[in-house]
Amino acid sequence: MIHDSVIRPNLVTGDKTLHDVTTEICRPIENKPSMSWSVGFGISVIFLGLLGLTLFVTEYTGIGTWGLNKSVQWGWDITNFVFWVGIGHAGTLISAILLLFRQKWRMSINRSAEAMTIFAVMCAAIFPFFHMGRLWVGIYWVFPLPNAFGSLWVNFHSPLLWDVFAISTYFSVSLVFWYLGLIPDIATVRDRAKTAGRKFWYNFFSMGWTGSVRTWNRYEVVSLILAGISTPLVLSVHTIVSMDFATSVVPGWHTTIFPPYFVAGAIFSGFGMVLTLLVIARKVMNYQDYITIGHLEAMCKVVMLTGTMVGLAYITEFFVAAYSGVEYEQYAFINRATGPYWWAYWSMMSCNLIAPQVFWFKWARTTPWFIFMLSVVVNVGMWFERFVIIVTSLHREYLPSGWVMYSPTKVEIGIFLGTFGLFFTCFFLFSKFLPVINMSELKAILKNRE
Amino acid sequence: MANKQTYWKGEEELLRTKDFLASQKNEFNEALPLDEVLSENNLGLSANRRDFLKFFGFSIAAVSLAACNKTPIRNVVPYLVKPEEITPGVANYYNSTCGACSAACGVTVKTREGRPIKVDGNSNSPVSGGGLCSTGQASILSLYDTERLAGPQKIKDKTASDVEWSAIDGDITKQLETINAAGGRIAIISGTIHSPSTLGVIADFSAKYTNTKHITYDTVGYGGILSANLTSFGKQVIPSYNFDKANVVVSFGADFLGTWISPVEYTKAWASRRKVDGLNKESKILKTIQFESNLSLTGSNADYRFPMKSSMEAIYVTSLYNAIAQKAGVAQLPMVKSGELAGGAIKQSAEALWNEKGNSLVVSGSNDARIQSIVNGINLLLNNYGTTIDLDNHSNQYKGVDADFAQFATDLNNGAYKAVIFYNTNPVYNSPMSEMISAGIKKASLSVSFASTADETAIECQYIAPDSHYLESWDDAEPKAGVYQLTQPTISPVFKTRQAQESLMTWAGLAAKPLVDPFANKTILSQKAEASVYYLYIKTKWALMGINTDAAFNKALHDGVHQMPAKAATVPAFAANLSAIVTDLDKMKVDTNAIDLVLYQNVAIKDGSLSNNPWLQETPDPISKVTWDNYVSLPKALAEKSGIANGDLVNVIAGSKKISGLPVFIQPGQSNMTVGLALGYGRKGKIGEKGEFEAIGKNAFPFVTYNGSNFNYVTNGVKIEKAEGKYELAQTQTHFSIEGRDLVRETTFGEIKENPKAGNDKNAPHLYTLWETKDYKKEGAPNHHWAMSIDLNSCTGCSACVVSCNIENNVPVVGRAEVRRRREMHWLRIDRYFSFSNVNKINYEADLFLKKDYEGNKITKEKGLEAIDAIEKKKADKANYDHWENVQVVHQPMMCQHCGQAPCETVCPVLATTHSTEGLNQMTYNRCIGTKYCANNCPYKVRRFNWFRYNDNDQFDFHFNNDLGKMVINPDVTVRTRGVMEKCSMCVQSIQATKTKAKRERRKINDGEIKTACQRACPAGAIVFGDVNDENSEIHKLFKNERSYRVLEELNTQTAVKYLVKVRDTEKETKA
Repeated sequence: MIHDSVIRPNLVTGDKTLHDVTTEICRPIENKPSMSWSVGFGISVIFLGLLGLTLFVTEYTGIGTWGLNKSVQWGWDITNFVFWVGIGHAGTLISAILLLFRQKWRMSINRSAEAMTIFAVMCAAIFPFFHMGRLWVGIYWVFPLPNAFGSLWVNFHSPLLWDVFAISTYFSVSLVFWYLGLIPDIATVRDRAKTAGRKFWYNFFSMGWTGSVRTWNRYEVVSLILAGISTPLVLSVHTIVSMDFATSVVPGWHTTIFPPYFVAGAIFSGFGMVLTLLVIARKVMNYQDYITIGHLEAMCKVVMLTGTMVGLAYITEFFVAAYSGVEYEQYAFINRATGPYWWAYWSMMSCNLIAPQVFWFKWARTTPWFIFMLSVVVNVGMWFERFVIIVTSLHREYLPSGWVMYSPTKVEIGIFLGTFGLFFTCFFLFSKFLPVINMSELKAILKNRE
Repeated sequence: MANKQTYWKGEEELLRTKDFLASQKNEFNEALPLDEVLSENNLGLSANRRDFLKFFGFSIAAVSLAACNKTPIRNVVPYLVKPEEITPGVANYYNSTCGACSAACGVTVKTREGRPIKVDGNSNSPVSGGGLCSTGQASILSLYDTERLAGPQKIKDKTASDVEWSAIDGDITKQLETINAAGGRIAIISGTIHSPSTLGVIADFSAKYTNTKHITYDTVGYGGILSANLTSFGKQVIPSYNFDKANVVVSFGADFLGTWISPVEYTKAWASRRKVDGLNKESKILKTIQFESNLSLTGSNADYRFPMKSSMEAIYVTSLYNAIAQKAGVAQLPMVKSGELAGGAIKQSAEALWNEKGNSLVVSGSNDARIQSIVNGINLLLNNYGTTIDLDNHSNQYKGVDADFAQFATDLNNGAYKAVIFYNTNPVYNSPMSEMISAGIKKASLSVSFASTADETAIECQYIAPDSHYLESWDDAEPKAGVYQLTQPTISPVFKTRQAQESLMTWAGLAAKPLVDPFANKTILSQKAEASVYYLYIKTKWALMGINTDAAFNKALHDGVHQMPAKAATVPAFAANLSAIVTDLDKMKVDTNAIDLVLYQNVAIKDGSLSNNPWLQETPDPISKVTWDNYVSLPKALAEKSGIANGDLVNVIAGSKKISGLPVFIQPGQSNMTVGLALGYGRKGKIGEKGEFEAIGKNAFPFVTYNGSNFNYVTNGVKIEKAEGKYELAQTQTHFSIEGRDLVRETTFGEIKENPKAGNDKNAPHLYTLWETKDYKKEGAPNHHWAMSIDLNSCTGCSACVVSCNIENNVPVVGRAEVRRRREMHWLRIDRYFSFSNVNKINYEADLFLKKDYEGNKITKEKGLEAIDAIEKKKADKANYDHWENVQVVHQPMMCQHCGQAPCETVCPVLATTHSTEGLNQMTYNRCIGTKYCANNCPYKVRRFNWFRYNDNDQFDFHFNNDLGKMVINPDVTVRTRGVMEKCSMCVQSIQATKTKAKRERRKINDGEIKTACQRACPAGAIVFGDVNDENSEIHKLFKNERSYRVLEELNTQTAVKYLVKVRDTEKETKA
């Protein structure tokens, strides 16, 4: 017997049966790719090629192909890194924290959100690697391979090192969590497979899943354990990323508010990206019954909450700068709002603090095209937030003699666009070869069990 | 029933002996043959067949794998006969004389394995005093210049072809004889020569070819002073100016700290009188008052700087004469137009000068002999002759008489000279009579140039007989009367070049002289030296001077300098008719509303003879911080009026001359209605195999005018018109204001006499650190703690240290495009900030949020309203930019501060930047992976990243790109690869070398024994380096000095570099 709350609306609409769920969610995997998929994938691959080209130019010629200079030694590279890591936050938050809070509405979206996390972290990882002047030496540092440079012992004081640990841990746990959730669904696809090749590969990746009670039991237990492990990671990753800045002496970076403010920002941008993807995906793949307006509305509320939180943080920074009495801090913030990069600051403020306030209105939360527009605005705003923090702090620091301007080169822009190519190429492949919605979990919340 | 049979292995088991039972407790109860297995014997050669095959197979595979990697073949060629003085890895030093300009500073040349790698000042020389300017520092690269001619050239249709020396010697000698026999005139045109031996050679040449005339042409000359001294005192010389004996100096446009006559010598003297430590209340420092149009280096260091229109200099100088004459009670000059500058500058200067009568000095940068005569008159009224001005021990550094050269140009163009020889001069490029010279050369039947590159003049001649570089040559010099210096070769000629003196001797038939040693007891120095006929010639000349033994000559050679006793300075009789001169000057038409063009020399590039030197091109102008270009320096008011902005191009029209497309730089401090333009740019010429040389900047020499007796570098009534197009100048510093930050501390001389802590009495910040405080004096293991002190009061910003640092530390040149991207690699830079000196005229919006007024002072409650009121008033007056001509300047050398608690060290993930036990912040290039985090976290922004590979890269076609240029690389310093961070190391290679030396000699390092490259270069002695743990060291005392402070002390970085407060000798407080 299943007891569902009478007042709680159905999380899946359309009165789906278990069979409906299986067929509908497996449809994209089993059918030939649609026209829109092919076009989208093609464009993504072109951008992926752009990524390869620009990274090759960077490595062949030098970081000098970027617009960085003697004062602004991090620019678009680290902006994009933090941007992508931030996007990578929603997935684990949805799957882990919402799992622990037993928010069942997460079940329709957690798979794609987790995939997004993994792809976003992959995109993010490109930047710390390629921003290194000597990638070929840096590899030895990240992976302790035997080498001729002597022992490249690390400095545990350096937040960059913490970053490596934080992000690699987050990435591996997220990957395992995602893959674990996929196993029953891969088994379903395996069982429905018609060709030998599909049978072999889906069989291989389902790792011999039988669907027995014992396996289900273990599945549930491991899910819970991984959720428990992931939950602090959601908070720790961006906390540690924020420490790249917070532990420095750069005015505008050196603030204790950064950890919570970065985490809130990451969730904000992560949900923004999930919304961007799902509003399109549910339409293109005809999943409106699974990813309902209710889902979108819930996410909009999270966006509004976290947007307001980061807005509060922006204002708090100003207050603290003024209250600190440190002229360098004060100037850094005045310069953000009124200096040569004022447009970036006000883009950030209007996109991140002001724009999400429209979600106080139910219409705004329940109109998919509007949500889509606003989710893009949120992501633009969050990109600007990182740009503002990194570039406007560095370009005018302590000694006015070192004050400079920074603008990106074509190569930097190419790399950034290229990471979108990588992201969407992965996402398209994912939507073609793996079930985008967690079928097995979704079936558990269906009303119609016939 | 189960049969339980008991088996036993041996007697022991059956009998269950005690030993057996004990052994049963072990896992392996029988002794294992471990010893046997592990023993050497069995591991050795006694392998069985299978093992043999295994070893054999492995060895074959290993050997063949190892053989895949081809070992590069490196040849080490040992000396067949090792020169006695050369030990690989150990530097040799030779004293010599700088050949970069005719100021002839004494230098010490550092050589490694027989190649010169660094030129520093020789402290024995009264001219250099141990310092050396940027131009002199960089001149070493001309030795390794790929544009140098590899041997004598014969030129036809501007195309040079290699010939043998014997061939051109034959041709030239034959022609000279023919010309001389026919009574044709021969001219030798040279820059100033004060070498007694070279002058002797020319005299001997003239004796052989009796129609020879020697004409001196100085690119930027001092003919005005020479002529004025001839009319005033009957001596056609430049006097010695003793800045160290003056208490006040008034300079009209003479940039004596930057480019004027002998800047290194003057900087040394000036700085020696700017020291404030240990002075009492009666003491005086050298008050410096500057009147000028362009903001020069001297102007930027002056206590008072008054912007003036240079075309009106005559009026101001005469007014000053009259003001002083009035005080002296002598007749004033009959001047029709009298002039005074805003604020009564002339009157105040006269007052200041008169108060220091006999200890004052007035100098003028004008090349007008009439103005110089009046200046002479002023100095005479002030009794300065014999004290601050010395005509008896005069300077020989510039001897070019303008009228002689002008006459020569006319004669040459008229075909009066049949033979012309150019030595160390390039008048086709750098004289206003370029066209006449160029056309005249064609009319001579013989034309020869001694240029070492195919320069603009040489390429017009028939022959080029390339002169050797001064580092390859023997020579002597007499830069000042009684001061003799020697130039000695530090390397055998890189190419088949020959000293000009030897060429002249060869052509005059003097080279065949039997090799008679001029000294009685002859010793052989070296075969090479002995082979030089000019070397023997020098010895002959020196023997006449009284240096007639090897011991005396070798001492002079060792010291680099031989000084005759100075003559007593006398007060000369004055013979000039100043009234007539003033009447003549009054006739000069000066349009006060027209724009003046004031030509000047850049501190690094100077007259342009070394303008293909990448180090100099990349040395930023000390004032504008522009590299790689000359530009029209425009006052803000004029720029606003004519709608010209930074980045625009303009055409400059002066009479019939026009230069199009010059970039504009709006220069704070540029006098209103004047514009500046640097000479020495726009060199053209065919350079080696690379073809046409891309001109850097534009040539401004056509704007030099000739007034019938002198060349004039100021033109009244030029037009500036906006041209099409945009151009970005490559600047190393783009923000001019210090934003009221406490980075440069300054005070006035009056205040510091009262309170030694004046200007430095800010409350110490509350400091707290998370990290363990470093202790360099630890019990049991006391160590050095290297530190540096920089006296902002001595530093003039001349940038000699910047060039010196670049050379010492193999800092790459990155070129104009990369400087535009703000990626210059200089480890040491000089920050320069402007402020408006006149508070009432300030048009700068204060930041009310920061509670700062426009000068950066805290707005207190009492001052608040007043300050805000001032700001509001100024807002209404926004259109007026006149006050932009009146700025104060500070220079602050900035390099790695070697923080005790370094922000860079904690953030490096791979420990590539760490702290040494001696207090140095050190870079390990091998470890660096280039995250650039350290540079971001450096509050001083001194870390430089290798954005590209700067060596062996065609994109960076400077000296790191060819085998010849690489010879200047310091072998003690790594050439950094792409992708690593670098920064000032405090010349750790010198520290290590000295430590090793001291250890070998079993002694402690003496204070002052280690000198960093910047310290060695500094003519002002502003930089002191040493061990702060050594309580007797100078640095220890300087760190305790009341004036010393740390930049950004509140960050608690505990820097090892401290600055000393700048002191201005002004009446009022600098900060209102």
